[in-house]
Amino acid sequence: MRQPRTVVLLACLLAYWPVFGAESETLDHRIPPGYEPVEAEDELGLWMEMREYEQALKQSALLVRDPGLNDYLQEIVCRVAAGYCKDFRVYLIRNPDFNASMTATGMMQVWTGLIVRANSTDEIAAVIGHEISHYTLLHSLATLRALKKKLATGTFVDIALILATGYGTGLGQTMAALSVMSFSREQETEADLLGVRLLAEAGYDPHASYGIWDKIIAEEEAAEVKREKPGAFGKTHPEAKLRAAYLKELVTARYGPPDAEAVADQRLLSVLNNNYMLLMEDQLDTNRYGRTKELLERHAALGVEPSLVRYFYGEMFRQRGSDGDRDLAKSAYLHSIELGKAPAKAYSNLGYLYLKAGDMESAKTYFVKYLEIDPDASDREMIEFYLED
Amino acid sequence: MIYRMSSLVALAVLASGCVATNYTLVEPGARAVAGLQVNATSGWNQAPPMSTPSMQKGAVLWTHDGPLLDQLIIIPGVADGEPLMKSSNKSAAMPLFKKDMLPNEIEELTESTFVKYFGEGNAVVTTKNLRPQRFGENRGVMFDVDATVSDSPKYRGTAGAFVANDKLYMMFFLGAVPHYFDKHAATATSVIQSAMLTGGSSTAATN
Repeated sequence: MRQPRTVVLLACLLAYWPVFGAESETLDHRIPPGYEPVEAEDELGLWMEMREYEQALKQSALLVRDPGLNDYLQEIVCRVAAGYCKDFRVYLIRNPDFNASMTATGMMQVWTGLIVRANSTDEIAAVIGHEISHYTLLHSLATLRALKKKLATGTFVDIALILATGYGTGLGQTMAALSVMSFSREQETEADLLGVRLLAEAGYDPHASYGIWDKIIAEEEAAEVKREKPGAFGKTHPEAKLRAAYLKELVTARYGPPDAEAVADQRLLSVLNNNYMLLMEDQLDTNRYGRTKELLERHAALGVEPSLVRYFYGEMFRQRGSDGDRDLAKSAYLHSIELGKAPAKAYSNLGYLYLKAGDMESAKTYFVKYLEIDPDASDREMIEFYLED
Repeated sequence: MIYRMSSLVALAVLASGCVATNYTLVEPGARAVAGLQVNATSGWNQAPPMSTPSMQKGAVLWTHDGPLLDQLIIIPGVADGEPLMKSSNKSAAMPLFKKDMLPNEIEELTESTFVKYFGEGNAVVTTKNLRPQRFGENRGVMFDVDATVSDSPKYRGTAGAFVANDKLYMMFFLGAVPHYFDKHAATATSVIQSAMLTGGSSTAATN
């Protein structure tokens, strides 16, 4: 006998079937490359607002300007977008949560949390393909027009425009505005379907389209503090489990089963290794240990520099501070050091752990080592206080 | 309907003058803040509790030019297992103070609390220059803070903290850079460094 949850899932899949059945075969871009509106007043207004918003975004202190990271994303965008490549500008935002968004004008925002959560470049490409599809399917304009129909004329139309464009809201609040005017489920499914096609045509693995959602589901299940409300991406998109299920069904039917052996993604590994401290320190500051632990387990399996992964295990256990965590943190720091590429902070934080345990001799050993490795450490005065104490 | 009723009640309470909604002047000199004494070398404006919903009971926010541009927050006596600031969002995962925290952990607690204070995902907060500092008879720490906040000015600040009687006492100043931080950093730092318990000392953060 089927479990009730399975029955519900199957019912939902059947509900989606007409969309990704016959219709998905004919689904195609609704605008040509280089598209710009010329006549429709509301569309011209939307573009004007978004261009102003983009100018403001360019000044944001939260933009990640690292050329390596930006080149990596730009390459993915151009490969997936193919002939539409020049229509997009990508902005990488320093935000540890999982999200990406696209405006009617081709301004794409990707949060650093997406890079931390992807197991492959293909998975990042899957999200980007989905966002590109929103653009070429003119979803923002359709949503704006649907919203205008619902609202009265005059001031309310302006409000609709603000909600639709995100103009006038904070960078972080843009997603909240998007959630208010969220794309319809049908639009999301359309973007998924066209996104899968773009992904496959670009030579990426189409199975990555549901793989990324499997990761989000696993992370949510590992969370010690569940989200009261879904995040912005969850709010504007169909439920992750349902989405992963129908995409898996579609991709397997159309492209066959996934390759049995996954090949390590050296490009993603290089990007992660080069930016791991920044990416994971932001994640740690969220104080969400279950999620952080899940990400670390994934990074360890992926082959991210083991010294760094062990170091962040140490950070996570030490900051969580549950029963037995101090020992786990100590082991993780020692392992990080043993592997040869531990950050200097592994030594000072190990010293603090010994200090807490009352082992002053070991504490001082690691504090001394810390200052040897990082003589210009900004907390030198604090460490010297303990060495002299 | 419930929302409308509570709004009406709130308006009625405000209209009756039962709740302080205005800024009040903090005169220069020794000032008591819930078990702490600080020396205000200049006058400050204390924000009304209604404008600081994330503050713990007893905590105060002082400012010269308005909280968006500069703010000095004094948080007295955070108990073991309590957060530095409140959040109405149950899924906010606010970091909690633990009575055996060492200086590096107090620094991390502050960093993570600031991230939540400005809105998770809306801010990147970093700390540096952790150093020992005496607060009256208590040993504590100071460190510097940088906060990059979405659609706000960049902030720089200084924090001071010590643990006494298993409680955390924290004072921090944030000013928009460059002007407002430079303008008020010296007076704010002197307030932070002047903090001491009004009723004697006990354990310290650097023990």
